[in-house]
Amino acid sequence: MASISLSPLQTSPSLRVLSSYTPQTAPNLSFYSHSKPSIPFPSTSLKPYTPIIPRSRSRSRSRSLIVPAAVKKISETDLVAVPLTAEEFSQKLPSESGVYAVYDKNDDLQFIGISRNVGASVFSHLKSVPDLCSSVKVGIVDEPDKESLTQAWKSWMEEHIKTTGKVPPGNQSGNATWIRQPPKKKSDLRLTPGRHVQLTVPLEELIGKLVKESQVVAFIKGSRNAPLCGFSQRVIGILETQGIDYESVDVLDEEYNYGLRETLKKYSNWPTFPQIFVNGELIGGCDILTSMHEKGELAGLLKK
Amino acid sequence: MGSRGANMLISRANRMKTKLQSVLEATTIELEDVSHQHAGHAAVKPNNVETHFNLKIVSPKFSGHTLVKRHRMVYDALADELQSGLHALSIVAKTPQEEEAASHR
Repeated sequence: MASISLSPLQTSPSLRVLSSYTPQTAPNLSFYSHSKPSIPFPSTSLKPYTPIIPRSRSRSRSRSLIVPAAVKKISETDLVAVPLTAEEFSQKLPSESGVYAVYDKNDDLQFIGISRNVGASVFSHLKSVPDLCSSVKVGIVDEPDKESLTQAWKSWMEEHIKTTGKVPPGNQSGNATWIRQPPKKKSDLRLTPGRHVQLTVPLEELIGKLVKESQVVAFIKGSRNAPLCGFSQRVIGILETQGIDYESVDVLDEEYNYGLRETLKKYSNWPTFPQIFVNGELIGGCDILTSMHEKGELAGLLKK
Repeated sequence: MGSRGANMLISRANRMKTKLQSVLEATTIELEDVSHQHAGHAAVKPNNVETHFNLKIVSPKFSGHTLVKRHRMVYDALADELQSGLHALSIVAKTPQEEEAASHR
């Protein structure tokens, strides 16, 4: 173990004793910022000791407190400047599994994360919070199952907390800067306050207002999360794949969209559903949307 | 089925073909009844046949019209059917020129 590794990416496993881990120091164990699965790669690092934990045991909850950490300490890992372009990234940062620590320009540790593709994760951090990503330390985990990745993360977290007495700002609970939040699914719009509430404006006007105020509105059968008709489902699929920000209205909702089907058919002079409106105009149903999607016409239409 | 009147004696598919033929002067009409694929669908009443169709129609009258307009022309021609239980129509509407171009691809 006397060799000095020039590359910060090389790992030399060492045996470390982990004291029992108190949950207080690990708020919100949320550290998967990027869950791109990668194929386990052949290890090239020196292995004076190979921490082989039988799979069955490593997955069971009752495990020994002595766990070999798969990565070097943070303090022993070299700091690398974060590259600025995608090409540099692929050269300087590994697309392998491991733990990484991101530092700002004052060399203050901001966030410790684990990833199945460290390079890609750091790159996405650089895109979302460039000001906080100045340099990075990386520890590749040789046998990147969830267990060993978590162990590596814990060891770095613990070391940092021991040294500084602080949890990295990005790892504090409630901090959403580094962790990719699950995309918020919009909910379907309701045109009326309820079936038994007397409308003060005709439903036609409500429809007109809605389709003119929102760039894209899809009137579908069922909700956008669970369409009840194959055509509506295809429409939602296309809009989602295109990354289009759209509103949806469930025409089968008899409570909050009572009478909508008949009124909408008259409003749009279109007898079937789904119906898709763009900038207040009916562009058609599933067939037309599909055809436009296949011809690549959707993006152009939405830019207008 | 007999209780629905004489109109039912001619299938909906045939009526649709006749209407499209006369109104749109279609050169090609391919009509496929896919109602069975939608059995159990919320809007399909039990025993309700001929509710869902795939239609491919080629007509010179589509020339110069957008897809929305073409579909509307088809729907207008079939207004009675849509009123009386035709539930969904998947439409491919082309002009003879477009059909020609597509077949040479």
